[in-house]
Amino acid sequence: MIGYVAGRSPLHRAHPYTTLALAAAVLFAAFAMTEPLGVWLLVLAGALLAASGGVLRSSARTALVVSLPIWALLFVLYGLLGAAPRAAVGPLDLSVPGIARALVLGGRVTAIVLGFLTALATTSPHRLVEAMTARGVPFSRTFLLASTLTVLPRMRERAARILEAQQCRGLRLGGSAVARLRALGPLALPLILGALAEVDEQVLALDVRGAAAGGRRTALDSPPDSVLQRALRWGLLVLVLAAYAWKFWRMRG
Amino acid sequence: MTLRDLVMVRLGVAINLVIGQIVAALLLPVFLDSIGTILVAALVGPRAAIAAGLVSQVLAAVISGNFAWLPFAVVQVVIALYAWGAARLGAFRRLWTAVLAGLGLGFVAASCSAPIAYFVFGGVTAGGVTLVTTVLRALGVPLGIAVASASYATDLLDKAIACGLVCVILRGLPRTLAARFPVLAR
Repeated sequence: MIGYVAGRSPLHRAHPYTTLALAAAVLFAAFAMTEPLGVWLLVLAGALLAASGGVLRSSARTALVVSLPIWALLFVLYGLLGAAPRAAVGPLDLSVPGIARALVLGGRVTAIVLGFLTALATTSPHRLVEAMTARGVPFSRTFLLASTLTVLPRMRERAARILEAQQCRGLRLGGSAVARLRALGPLALPLILGALAEVDEQVLALDVRGAAAGGRRTALDSPPDSVLQRALRWGLLVLVLAAYAWKFWRMRG
Repeated sequence: MTLRDLVMVRLGVAINLVIGQIVAALLLPVFLDSIGTILVAALVGPRAAIAAGLVSQVLAAVISGNFAWLPFAVVQVVIALYAWGAARLGAFRRLWTAVLAGLGLGFVAASCSAPIAYFVFGGVTAGGVTLVTTVLRALGVPLGIAVASASYATDLLDKAIACGLVCVILRGLPRTLAARFPVLAR
């Protein structure tokens, strides 16, 4: 899966809040769009955003991998099993309103995935934490977002080790559904109980690093922000609100 | 939030995200992606459990790349509050009461997730649930009913197993470890 890709593009240099605001605007605007044209314009906007960050190829490839299964299910559920009127496309008999709905739903997911993958690829986690610290975001929130990702590989490795160890002791992973459910305990319990036993040690480690100290922290490498970027973020908010106003006005009409 | 709560939230998030690895190895038709949230609700309280649920949802999106499912974060909040209420009532003291509470949680969670799946995503969400929806739809069941049936069927099973497992974990906690969680003693 895509992560941060170092670069010098305008998106890389932008304040992390601006990049995230762009992705969030795509997310909210996608749910405001009800016509295929609007949704696909958003997909185009997502692709342009990725291109401006120099990550179009990697973002588009991952977005495709994530979206393809959804597209396949939408095609079956709406295209093949959708309501009349129907149109023959080659050997297939497809639902016309079903295909239009599938284009909206699938385009929505693709636009959101593309927008956020671009934000993820162009926002350095270090700069984001610094930006949050500079804005006075409490330590607990930055800690949860940044440190949990570092714990995951360790937990995954431990889960794999427990799996191998229990198999060595004769635990069978196959068989009936009940047998597989019974195997869940010997695999999940050591993982969770072992992690719970380490809680005190981790609390102590955080305490000696001054995590419990109150007061505002000083960011040593705060990313620069500008009036233009702040205006852009407010502009995005106005655009999203306008999209929803337009959607509800059309629904009333 | 105390430092202990913070570490517990991080632990709950890690459990939510890693347990899928074990479930996949066992080829079980469930997700069990809220065990960490339920455990934190039972051991620490609702605030930490809500934080664990929300952070899990965001990080799951970061890891999988699929940010479209972020609206389902609401369901995590509901799970956290329900699990806390169930723990306060002592539902996790016996296995059968935990499974019963899990069935209730499955019903509540599906009641929240089914409308989101239907109205926001047109019924196409996670692979397994959507496959059930597609089969029901192919059998002539209306889309709304197919989406709701698939959600209830998967959530009832998923949450009953999750709550049962949390009960086993809590009962398996050594006394010295259990004593460190005052909420558990109540």
